[in-house]
Amino acid sequence: MASTNPAVIMGDGTGLTKLGFAGNDAPSFVFPTAIASRSTTSGKSSAQPVFGGNAGSTTSANNNLASKRGMEDLDFYIGDEALKAANGPNYSLSYPIKHGQIENWDHMERFWENSIFKYLRCEPEDHYFLMTEPPLNPPENRENVAEIMFESFNCAGLYIAVQAVLALAASWTSSKVQDRSLTGTVIDSGDGVTHVIPVAEGYVIGSAIKNIPIAGRDITMFIQQMLRERGELDSSLRTAEKIKQEFSYVCPDIVKEFRKFDNDSEKFAQFIVENESKTSKKIIDVGYERFLAPEIFFSPEIANSDFLTPLPVIVDQVIQQSPIDVRKGLYKNIVLSGGSTMFKDFGRRLQRDIRDIVKERITDSEKLSHAKSSGVDVNVISHRRQRNAVWFGGSLLAQTSEFKAYCHTKADYDEYGPNIVRNFSLFSVP
Amino acid sequence: MPAYHSNFVGEDADARKIGNFPLLSFRTNYKGPSYPTTQEYDIIDEVLDLFRPNSFFKNFEVKGGADRSLIYGILYTSQALNEINKTTSQASAIKALNNLALEDFSLPGDPSFPLNNVFTSPKDRVEYNLLKSYLNQFRQELSARLIAKLYQNDIHNPDKFWLALSKRKFMNKSL
Repeated sequence: MASTNPAVIMGDGTGLTKLGFAGNDAPSFVFPTAIASRSTTSGKSSAQPVFGGNAGSTTSANNNLASKRGMEDLDFYIGDEALKAANGPNYSLSYPIKHGQIENWDHMERFWENSIFKYLRCEPEDHYFLMTEPPLNPPENRENVAEIMFESFNCAGLYIAVQAVLALAASWTSSKVQDRSLTGTVIDSGDGVTHVIPVAEGYVIGSAIKNIPIAGRDITMFIQQMLRERGELDSSLRTAEKIKQEFSYVCPDIVKEFRKFDNDSEKFAQFIVENESKTSKKIIDVGYERFLAPEIFFSPEIANSDFLTPLPVIVDQVIQQSPIDVRKGLYKNIVLSGGSTMFKDFGRRLQRDIRDIVKERITDSEKLSHAKSSGVDVNVISHRRQRNAVWFGGSLLAQTSEFKAYCHTKADYDEYGPNIVRNFSLFSVP
Repeated sequence: MPAYHSNFVGEDADARKIGNFPLLSFRTNYKGPSYPTTQEYDIIDEVLDLFRPNSFFKNFEVKGGADRSLIYGILYTSQALNEINKTTSQASAIKALNNLALEDFSLPGDPSFPLNNVFTSPKDRVEYNLLKSYLNQFRQELSARLIAKLYQNDIHNPDKFWLALSKRKFMNKSL
């Protein structure tokens, strides 16, 4: 059975979880990585973060006791239902993944249980599973994942892939990619944080990874701030987010863009907010935030004063810190992944800025050495699957016939134990 | 990308200078010490062009004299926008900004001047008075062109996208 069924791809991110089957174009389910479970002590408000990092071990102990007594452990919701349940009494919401890493294993196990049985509705013993992990995930975490997947769910086989590598694989669909190599720089920007991850031949260069504290949420907050300063009728975070998704774009030069707005009043947009019953309408004018909001990747100073290094400079630093023999490959294949890289012309602007930095360095070194450089090719790859790039990359890899040979099977697990997943079995697709 | 600099930085070499503040000439009908000029694009146009992008920046490195004119102009624009609110009509805005331009203001070197770390003070009384009357003219001309921009679409209500920027503080300073 397991050899003919499509593999299950589970991409659990800090914000959203993507679930689906290998070979599909898009995940079947995308919902918040949230779980609402019955509060152990009644009267605690749902807004309180009951399951903080330290409290994790004690609450899981409580839950184990509860499971011996009755059915309390089955009383929980995940995803959108969890958000809804947490609005009422009795349930408290928790996000089991923090900064990309699983913090609360007990919640994660129950989250997967519902993901598999309630959403995907499949029998885990009939399917291989492809799970994703963040770069620099400790091996102990992989062991924990294997333990849960094999012991609790009895799944047929398991492969744990690094998100950045999957994002690289997803870029093979772009027409700009000629050779399907697993060498490149991945810029992964979600809601909370942006990672720049160099990958050489499928291996993440851990020492050169950099994180930037600018991501989707900061852009939304910046738009909200501008709406507030202007005194618009509605400046909720939801409105700001909608404006971000619908109207924002990246411009080549802000001064010129301001002038374009002066000459062409059609550049100003209007966003209409309706209440739920559609009885009242509020018209929100949208102005300079259209291009200023994504600009904070390139001029972070305009949004806050703590972090001042622009994204193109960070990408350049990351590549310069990587081993010298892979740098050309890293410049040649800069791949975007995640929702916050979806702004129009984001890739073009990034490519131009990185090219400028590289060109300057080359002319400097030519001047010093009096030798002619062969030049460095800088390519930023945008493609249509950027939003769910990691999931899509998983779907691509897992539908190949080689995939199952690289998986750890239940038989291996029974023979050797959870430490089999410590080995990183690299996927090489021709 | 850092904040934008003035394009006049190279061109102010032959301008008169008080301390390190160049008296760049600009087109104007107001009386004052600025030399007449036929430049299409003068420092005041530049101030109004760069006011919007630069008002988002907190750091600014002065690269030359003209950058000081730019700083002064941007900070004055921000002060002027604070005098106007959403319902101010063009007529009352003209009045308000005229008063603001002509009221007693502090000069580089005065203890109340906020930018004394980038400006040097005038040497003597003559320079002091020259600078004062130059800035007076500068403020008047800037106010006039700012009002023209704010009310170009609607003479009853100022452009709200400009007004919103009055809450931003260029270099975290205000005049």
